[in-house]
Amino acid sequence: MSSLIKNELTKIFKKKSIYITLFVVLAFVILTNCIYKFFFTTGNSYGYSDSYISYIKEELARLDPTKPSDTTMYIDLKSELETYELMQKYDEDAWQRQIIASQLTGDISEKNTYLYSSEKDEAKAQEIENNINAILKKLDSDDWKYFANQDLEKATQTLNSLEEQKANTQDKQLLGELEVAIENAKIDKEVAEYRINQDIKYGTDYLNEALTSYQSYSLNLIQMGNVDNLEYEDKLQYNESLEEKEISKYIIENKQDINKRNDTRGILKNFFSEYGLFIIVIIVMIAGTIVSEEFNKGTVKLLLIKPYSRAKILLSKYITILIMTVFAIAIILLMELVVGGIVFGFDSLSVPVLEYNFNTSQLEIINIFTYVGIEILTQLPMIILLATLAFALSTIFTNSALAITISLLGFMSPSIINALVIQYKVGFMKYFVTMNWDLSGYLFGSLPSMEGMTMGFSIVMCLIYLFVMLIPTFIIFKKKNIKNI
Amino acid sequence: MENILECKNLCKTFGKKQILHKVSFEIKKGDILGFIGPNGAGKTTTIKLILGLQSITNGKVLINGYDVEKEFTKAIEKVGAIVENPDMYMYMSGYDNLKLVANMYKGITIKRIDEVVKLVKLENRINDKVSKYSLGMRQRLGIAQAILHNPNLLILDEPTNGLDPEGIKEMRELLVDLAKKEEMAILISSHNLAELDNFCNKICIIKNGEIIETNEITAIKKDIEHQQFIVEIDNTKDIKKLYSEATIVNDKIFKISMKKENVPNLVVNLVNNNIKIYEIKEDEKSLEDAFFERTGGNVIE
Repeated sequence: MSSLIKNELTKIFKKKSIYITLFVVLAFVILTNCIYKFFFTTGNSYGYSDSYISYIKEELARLDPTKPSDTTMYIDLKSELETYELMQKYDEDAWQRQIIASQLTGDISEKNTYLYSSEKDEAKAQEIENNINAILKKLDSDDWKYFANQDLEKATQTLNSLEEQKANTQDKQLLGELEVAIENAKIDKEVAEYRINQDIKYGTDYLNEALTSYQSYSLNLIQMGNVDNLEYEDKLQYNESLEEKEISKYIIENKQDINKRNDTRGILKNFFSEYGLFIIVIIVMIAGTIVSEEFNKGTVKLLLIKPYSRAKILLSKYITILIMTVFAIAIILLMELVVGGIVFGFDSLSVPVLEYNFNTSQLEIINIFTYVGIEILTQLPMIILLATLAFALSTIFTNSALAITISLLGFMSPSIINALVIQYKVGFMKYFVTMNWDLSGYLFGSLPSMEGMTMGFSIVMCLIYLFVMLIPTFIIFKKKNIKNI
Repeated sequence: MENILECKNLCKTFGKKQILHKVSFEIKKGDILGFIGPNGAGKTTTIKLILGLQSITNGKVLINGYDVEKEFTKAIEKVGAIVENPDMYMYMSGYDNLKLVANMYKGITIKRIDEVVKLVKLENRINDKVSKYSLGMRQRLGIAQAILHNPNLLILDEPTNGLDPEGIKEMRELLVDLAKKEEMAILISSHNLAELDNFCNKICIIKNGEIIETNEITAIKKDIEHQQFIVEIDNTKDIKKLYSEATIVNDKIFKISMKKENVPNLVVNLVNNNIKIYEIKEDEKSLEDAFFERTGGNVIE
């Protein structure tokens, strides 16, 4: 048996196609890393593109503010241009830009309204102008804490006034609305305090991102209310918000960029979404040809007149596929480690991955390699089932193209099907293979995508599908008449 | 002497069509059996049944006493074969192909591989990829992989297919050599009796899925003592009156089969009837054509 497996591996590694495929995969790995290195931006910087600014300038030259039909447009564009010019004074990632965007845009457009619209009021415009200049002075003094304190003050005031209103009102409906508003204000206040305590400058870096998501996920949680009263779908959302909130909190308190995508660790963390297709392609290519090619080339006759039972010959081929599965995953992992290491360095590998454990209500801090290992294990059912599908089709129909195409379709379709099933709650579909072959949803006590599913259930379902494919394959191969080739 | 291969009443049906009707023959140690039949007669099917490549509808195949269906691995262990074409892994070298085969049997040494390579005279090209081989070289590599494990039964399906006369001669020499040196029983199929009659000691003729004759080659040769002659004369219209068994080809040529010693009588008879003879020559048809003509041609159903 081991000599049969050895022979199968020899046949695979003597072929050029495997090396060509691996070379193409390597090229994609390098490309992926380089794109992350040189072109990746978080996408939320403050500012405008050059082409947009030149467009604004052209439009402003063309528009006539005195014509009533142009006025609004003129004011809008003029305000944008002024905002842009203010921002230009500071570096692209300077904290001042955020303040300009959040505090001055309103003032600027108000000022321009007083200057250009039909209800002109130069005095008021001047007043606003002074106000803007005062803020600008503060910006130049590089004192971001002033603004942070201001935010906190504002939030405190809002909260106090809301609580006052609540104390004075009897209206039940209004009371409810006020309570929600108070919760929101509390979060605003908490975030403002958080910024000061954790010493987070305004800007676009990961800490600000974490602060923003902390705020929005906290809001989500409050809006949803008590988790026990929720519908199942909302419970899923609740859990997601809870996890994101806790992770944001960890990022802020530990100053570690856990969600960073453009480094070796970030790409490894998303190993399957980045490279899953390549793993599947390599394995399906091997599984889809390992039997049918012998038939198409006539070499099957050579194989079947050796002193081994047909079952053993087929089993050796199947085991070879499983070995190649491990090989494909390992070699792509290795490629990413080496290429990522060269492009980004290895430092990021010391940053852990976070998962919220719903059983213990605590964050799990996981080493990146352990995490990738867990992820591979949870995806293994899908990989093995697709490989088995290709193997079964290749054996039954002795047609490589059919086997490979259908298996790749099987890899691509579930994202659509699963989403539909979950959206419309198609209950019986919980027995369908694509709903079960990804085990990652069951980890750390998180809720499965459909009510009533468990990891044990999914593993049993996957095993059933596996044997439903394998048993007929072995029977058919055993009985097959080798026709003329 | 004991039977190495024994086929007993082999039947094979595909759907409703019966391909083989009770095919029976046996091969003893040291025999070279020529398995002769026209295309579509069932030669390859019979070989596939013997090798377990197709299921047997009815009947039995025993190799070295083991039933192919019941004890496949034991039965096939001492069998080497080429079925249809010498299909090898084209993207590998000849040597790698032989190593793959060697891996599947116990105790085949590198020395044995080299020995076989020398035997089939491939030593200069054995490290080339098989895709660069000519058909003749592939046939020889096919034989090399078939005899690597010292089988006592060698089954070759049309090994001379696609070979030029020189290649056929070489193949014949190689097989005679093998039968002597390695003491194998050989089953060799062909649609051309003339190719085989020089070195087979037994002939089995199959037609439309039925064995129509199994015999020592000497006996069969004796049987086909009537030969065909082509006679060119001035006019053939009255020939049928003289020789009713003659076949008229056109108004100048007719064919007739008779023993060679009767040809002078034919000449005398024609001359006496005032017929001008331009040429009498032996028809150079192969032996088995004559044989089939005698038994009625093969029809592919």
